[in-house]
Amino acid sequence: MRAEATSGAAPEVALELDLDVFDGPFDLLVTLILRDEIDIWEVRVSRIIAEYVVRLADSGEFDLDATSQFVVLVAALLEMKSRLLLEDEVDDELDDLDPDEAAERLLERLVRYSQFKSVGGALGRRWEEHAARLYRCTPVPAALLRRPAPAGALPRETLPAALAPLLREPPAPDTSHLADLAVSLVKELRRLRVILDDAGEFTFAGVAPEGRLERAVTFFALLELHSAGEAVLRQRRHFGDIVVTRVARPAALAAG
Amino acid sequence: MHPLARRLEALLFISSRPLPAADLAAACACAEAEVAEALAELRAEYAPARHGFVLHEVAGGHTFAVADDCAEDVRRLTGAERPDDLSAALLETLAVVAYLQPVTRAEIAEVRGVSSEYALSSLEERGLVEQRGRADTPGAPLLYATGDRFLKLFGLGSLAGLPALEEFALGASEVEEIRARLLSNAERRRA
Repeated sequence: MRAEATSGAAPEVALELDLDVFDGPFDLLVTLILRDEIDIWEVRVSRIIAEYVVRLADSGEFDLDATSQFVVLVAALLEMKSRLLLEDEVDDELDDLDPDEAAERLLERLVRYSQFKSVGGALGRRWEEHAARLYRCTPVPAALLRRPAPAGALPRETLPAALAPLLREPPAPDTSHLADLAVSLVKELRRLRVILDDAGEFTFAGVAPEGRLERAVTFFALLELHSAGEAVLRQRRHFGDIVVTRVARPAALAAG
Repeated sequence: MHPLARRLEALLFISSRPLPAADLAAACACAEAEVAEALAELRAEYAPARHGFVLHEVAGGHTFAVADDCAEDVRRLTGAERPDDLSAALLETLAVVAYLQPVTRAEIAEVRGVSSEYALSSLEERGLVEQRGRADTPGAPLLYATGDRFLKLFGLGSLAGLPALEEFALGASEVEEIRARLLSNAERRRA
């Protein structure tokens, strides 16, 4: 994929990156690379993929569209990077210039580089001379760091007075701000059994409540129905909807 | 010896890190100018070849170090090893960081003409280079700089002790020689 092909479509992959050369959302990184404001050589695509996989695992949700878009963008980055491996394209910058101009540009770079190369040599000589020096490193004796104990014996009451606050039972933490779970497993089982009895079959998406926690309870209730042999669970593809079909009610429940 | 010089000697003896003149002045409740004078006396007392250790000004402070000609004996006693030598690539990268700091990885690569990823991480591992925030440019790349360990291992009191970068510039005749070579290459390309 060429840069022009992706520059029109706004990528919508919400992934925050923390790379050496870039700190921000993935889409911004792609935009900056396309605008040549970040050198793609400096971007480790494997790190981006690793971060995305971790984020997927954390979120527990799989958005097929967003993931497909991510794969396309990452593939584009890899292609751009691999194209740069071809010598012709790397030297484009100098090829576009007049040979004299290119020579001047190259001269400038060489002069600057040779300066730092010489500094490196000088630093090497300093290293030879100083790096092996053994500076004073003995730690301050612990006794000197310790504060002196109060002179004389402490009164007998001091110890219990110091310990008493530690032995006192702390007040129970206030949990009033935590909302109670709206659905209990027993209640949810009862609700699902009614639906199963009436309809004979339902889908997870059809009956699951909105909240994440409540959905989890519904899911546990499904597993409970399955392990009790009351229902069969089917899922055609990964992350697809779950179809729940009634088998038969256990004898004990049927009698009750 | 001046009484203040003896007091400073005691502070330097007990400290495990280089002590800045300001800290010495605060501890002795005296002016920094007096400390500077007393330090000069101490430096003369602990000049090389007089004692088994020498007074150095390094990494922003003053500290004792084993005299260089006694270091091998100390190594035999303690088993301390000499630090590994730095390769030319590491020294070059370190030179760029030391003079242009704080500097991004891309800027280092631009000067050296090659990726300096390995060199930088190796210098970071050795504690010679450290991350120093992020640049206020697109992508907010990491910035790198040298720290106190760099100053200590290169025997520098501060970064101001580095020789001027201009001292390492190529001479006019060398630049002309390279220019002539490049231009003759350019001529060949045109032909």
